[in-house]
Amino acid sequence: MRRWSSVLALVLIAGCASAGPGPGSAATDMSTMDMSTMDMPVQEPSVMGVPDRGFVGPQGRSAQFVVECTFSHALPDDPIVYPNEPGQSHLHVFFGNADTDADSTVESLAGAATTCDQPLDRASYWAPALLQNRRMVEPIKSTAYYRPGPDVDPTTIEPFPAGLMMIAGDAHATESQPTSVVAWTCGTGAERDSTPPSCGVDRTLRMLVTFPDCWDGEHVDLPGHRAHMHYSSGGACPASHPVPVPQLTFSVQYPVSGDPSDLELTSGGLLTGHADFFNSWDQAALTQEVQLCLHRNVVCGITSGRKTG
Amino acid sequence: MTTRRWVGVLMAAALGLAACGGGDDSTSSASTAAATTATTAASTTAAPTTDAPTTTAAPPTTEAATPAGSGAIRVPEDQPTIQAAVDAAAEGDLILIAPGTYHEAVNVTTNNLTIRGLDRNEVVLDGQFEMETGSRDRGASGVAVENMTAMNYSKNGFFWTGVDGYRGSYLTAYRTGDYGIYVFDSINGLLEHSYGGGSPDAGIYIGECYPCNAVVDDVTSEHNGLGYSGTNSGGNLVIVNSVFRNNRAGMVPNSGSYELCYPERDTTIIGNAVYSNNETDTPAIDVAILAMGNGILVAGGVQNRIERNRVDDHNKTGIGLVPFLEEDPNDVEPSPDSWTRPCAETKNDPVPDPDTVPDAILWDAKQNSVVANVVTGSRVADIAVASLGDVAVLGNCFADNEAASSAPLDLEALAPCDGTGTGDWTAGLIDIGQWLVDAENAPPSVPYDKAVLPPVPVLDGMPDPETAPANPAVNMPPAVDLDAIGVPELPAS
Repeated sequence: MRRWSSVLALVLIAGCASAGPGPGSAATDMSTMDMSTMDMPVQEPSVMGVPDRGFVGPQGRSAQFVVECTFSHALPDDPIVYPNEPGQSHLHVFFGNADTDADSTVESLAGAATTCDQPLDRASYWAPALLQNRRMVEPIKSTAYYRPGPDVDPTTIEPFPAGLMMIAGDAHATESQPTSVVAWTCGTGAERDSTPPSCGVDRTLRMLVTFPDCWDGEHVDLPGHRAHMHYSSGGACPASHPVPVPQLTFSVQYPVSGDPSDLELTSGGLLTGHADFFNSWDQAALTQEVQLCLHRNVVCGITSGRKTG
Repeated sequence: MTTRRWVGVLMAAALGLAACGGGDDSTSSASTAAATTATTAASTTAAPTTDAPTTTAAPPTTEAATPAGSGAIRVPEDQPTIQAAVDAAAEGDLILIAPGTYHEAVNVTTNNLTIRGLDRNEVVLDGQFEMETGSRDRGASGVAVENMTAMNYSKNGFFWTGVDGYRGSYLTAYRTGDYGIYVFDSINGLLEHSYGGGSPDAGIYIGECYPCNAVVDDVTSEHNGLGYSGTNSGGNLVIVNSVFRNNRAGMVPNSGSYELCYPERDTTIIGNAVYSNNETDTPAIDVAILAMGNGILVAGGVQNRIERNRVDDHNKTGIGLVPFLEEDPNDVEPSPDSWTRPCAETKNDPVPDPDTVPDAILWDAKQNSVVANVVTGSRVADIAVASLGDVAVLGNCFADNEAASSAPLDLEALAPCDGTGTGDWTAGLIDIGQWLVDAENAPPSVPYDKAVLPPVPVLDGMPDPETAPANPAVNMPPAVDLDAIGVPELPAS
């Protein structure tokens, strides 16, 4: 049986959630949980809805904070989908927390080093490895953009709860995913394609994955890893997921230019783009960034087009 | 479930509870206060953790009791940390910081504060490579930061963003992972008597503003990727009486659609000493490597005024007006009739439709004037203009410069500031494409925390820090008598 950690977590975190619009301490009775569902596969992403639109255009228009992290390591591990089962996953590339592996917990991640330029961002970010001619491409870096969701009042946004786990994109997709969720582009450009475009040598390939920005206020994870999160729509979160959290767009930049025909993801093909996030930020620092940047509607940083390779 | 999982869950929950313990503002100091109490309490004994030699300035006198000081919030006497003082302050307050090393990343959110070190060289904010920015003003207008040093931060020394009214005076930013002194999306400001050294981007930066209404006066920027940079800034933006030396490139204002308020325009650069910007061993962003060996390089900016500067010893150009090719941009190039639109207005424009965005924008340097500069020792050309298109139609002008070489040849005859030019625009053009090749072969960036730098300079501090009254950044910037500024001399060495 897998953990049901989040069940307990929600009990304790409920006190925090109740300060906001969250529904308080509902669903805290483990005896009511159907443990047979704990090993259910990752749910279809459609249960989370889709964003109204993706973020495009110049940065600097609206509030955001940005964390850039260098590549940390690659492992066939996935502490969300295959906890304590090293080697069970397709190959992932990890950023941020340098200790992330199949056994990772919030506790184990808390004291680890980070590859991020925000030293208090010790969160774990990962994505399937990109292969070129079946060899792994070591990414240049990742960029995590934390913004209000489209048209969401920035002053209402709460930080991700400690220990939140979420997945965006569909590792089993057989058709193009919405580019508002998974997109490929070159450098910091405006292009948003469902498969990798041919990029110039100075504006190399990036995959962007946008996570849901509404939380149910209770669970740091749920069986299937989707149902506790939802995308906002019309600038609002649904009643089922009433807590607006930052819209995290996570991008991975690769030293890849030119013909993309020799590329594939380790999750299969090029339509299976996805990414995972495990919140092990220094929680006070994350809270501070949300308050000082998003609530105050301030651009706290950008990814400069002068720096991307 | 494994035991480890459960423990992790408990930890997550505990962290979650801890995170929600504070109110809207009190959490802003939580992380720094906890980390800094120990060091700041004994701040005069804590040595900065850096491979750079410490300063040798004599301890300042701190016993003076003054009318200004008596109303001030003193660190550490009244508040144990700078952050605690900032959080306790009301609008208009003066914060006086005693000499010592402060391991803090200070966030400022109250308007009209004056945050002052009592000794520029001995009040040291040290991020120890574990903190992001020494002082961050996030949307608090009218804040003045003065007379202190920030070093060893993973991003910036001093940072203002989203403010109306700012002033940085007698600041030293040293060994930072992004910028030294960084101003973004802010208007009505002054940076003066300050220093930026050892950053991969710009030692001094003002970007995304029009009209900026800002003055940079008497700053020194060295051993950075770029001495000065400003992306998409301008409009009463005046840079005078300053020194930009020993960077990869000296002064590089530029345009780009990756952030708002393009193009860069109407920056006034007068009376600066810009020399020996050929450094090969600094931290450097990509653009700094591309721009290496140039003194004043306008990269796709328009309507800038470059006058009476002293420019010497550059491997490429002394003063160059060059294109910036932005591949995969975020918008179409704005038409000249929109160059005067305020930045604030463009924030409300519809988001560009990606389908209408071209594959690239060639930002040409247009309608700039280069007048009465003294330019020497350039290995490619003292003054130059280049384009990937027709360089003759860009409307730049050159007059009264002391320059031994130009590209194209006889540039002042081709493009005078008065009258009609004559000559051959194709003679002696520089090969801008070669710069891309040069960049490929240039010495790569050195990590900012490993770069070999001169010691932290000991620099003049502000007069009377104990007694000078609070001086928030209102009515900024001061007027500058541009006509009174002459061509500066180079240092004797």
